[in-house]
Amino acid sequence: MAVSERDGRAGQDVLRRVGEASVLILISLADGPKHGYALIQDIKELAGVELGPGTLYGALDRLERLGLIEPLPADDRRHPYRITAAGAAALRVHLDSLERVSAAGRLRLQLGGI
Amino acid sequence: MNEPRTTRLVEAVLRCYPARWRRRHGDEAAELAALLISDGIPAGSIAWNYLAGAARAWLTPRPGRRLSTVACALLVAAGSLGVSAGLLPSTTSARAAITSQPQGPAHCRPGPPEPEPGMISALGRPRVIIQGAGHARSC
Repeated sequence: MAVSERDGRAGQDVLRRVGEASVLILISLADGPKHGYALIQDIKELAGVELGPGTLYGALDRLERLGLIEPLPADDRRHPYRITAAGAAALRVHLDSLERVSAAGRLRLQLGGI
Repeated sequence: MNEPRTTRLVEAVLRCYPARWRRRHGDEAAELAALLISDGIPAGSIAWNYLAGAARAWLTPRPGRRLSTVACALLVAAGSLGVSAGLLPSTTSARAAITSQPQGPAHCRPGPPEPEPGMISALGRPRVIIQGAGHARSC
């Protein structure tokens, strides 16, 4: 089932259950289209996470099914992907949610004096 | 691992994916594996990751289908094994109970006095005696 841009605007965090790999892929695609190898390299640099190729393709298929990314015409054997408007909206909502949780966590650590 | 062997290993694992996946990603996936191996990632680790991905690809329902045929077959097989495993202990214990000798005095056992094994009850209906842990009940 595809996620609409409106879901993102409505504040629904549709990325909560898609897994870390999918979120990292969306973050990587946020600054422009990339193909598989470029995504793996970028995510390694960005987050220090080495995505396995099987994990990568699984996440790409899931994100495409949800309508959060779309394939571009193949460049030789490589298929670049780009983030859709719905994907960008969903990523924004997810990052906002992470920021809120992160702030609450820091505050509680402060209050707990740990 | 030498290059032809790693290539064969990756190719073999990629054949585990569903045909629709191979048509779409197969060539790119083989090229990606070659690039990652040349970057120093162990071929075995790449093969395992592709293998796990293949299992997920088979188990992921396609749009318009609730579950792929293979996933259904696996579920049915797992269900049958589960039922068999569940039935086996109960039939074994039931058989053991029927064939075992009564233990303890008759007054310890609830229910009416039992006929001798092989006897027909007064109601004219054969009864099966099931016993366990020294107590018996008739049914």
